Amino acid sequence: MSETTPETDARRIAREARDRVRFEEEALELADQVYRVARHMVNAREEAEDLVQETYARAFRSWKQFRPGTNLRAWLLRILTNLNIDRGRKLQRTPDMQSLEAGDYYLFERLEDAGGEITEEERVDERLSQDSIVEALSAVPHDFRDVIVLVDISDFSYAEAAQILDIPVGTVMSRLHRGRRILKKQLAEETVG
Amino acid sequence: MCDCAECEQLLQPYLDRVLTEAERLEAEEHLDHCSYCRRAYRFEEELRMFVRRATSAPMPPELKQKLADLRISL
Repeated sequence: MSETTPETDARRIAREARDRVRFEEEALELADQVYRVARHMVNAREEAEDLVQETYARAFRSWKQFRPGTNLRAWLLRILTNLNIDRGRKLQRTPDMQSLEAGDYYLFERLEDAGGEITEEERVDERLSQDSIVEALSAVPHDFRDVIVLVDISDFSYAEAAQILDIPVGTVMSRLHRGRRILKKQLAEETVG
Repeated sequence: MCDCAECEQLLQPYLDRVLTEAERLEAEEHLDHCSYCRRAYRFEEELRMFVRRATSAPMPPELKQKLADLRISL
């Protein structure tokens, strides 16, 4: 026998409505962070904006799939990543890494060669511009860039990044390691040629 | 004690704090004696913070409004 009565139904509907409002508000509070990831995962600003809108449209539709108490920021970015892959990102081939990678001191060495010793007190922005960072990051192949954007820029743990990108933690770590080297090589080429 | 090439290999895991105690001590022993590697480590640390600052793109207000308009509950 069902114990459902019109009253409890009404109460359930009211509770769901409240939960939904709260979910939407919490999701919107994270919009700046979601946008930041999108902005650096895709190259064009318009594309990033579209991607964020699609992400929120889908999140608001499927809000019941989110388990309260788990990481909402990671959940939203998982949607974003999947949408981005749906857009054909997977078709991109990763270029030959040998030609892209250099050692971890490469940028430091090239900047010292070009402009003299970098002291321990010196600020990086005396040698590099903000634009050069954004430019160099956009030239890093997607697979590597995504982990840099999540871990180094957005402060996700390796485990969270692995969950968002649906790859093993070990892959996050190796891509991060290589991605940072590729980024520095790009910066060196842009800055000192 | 490791040499400069080995110290370069330890740079990222050192800053990520994922080295074993023995590896960390090895790197630090080298850094104590080598100003070149010390400067390279310091540069990397600064660079990471700079990358973070340089990529903080504020969201256009119109986009924020568009997202709010997507809400279903209102």
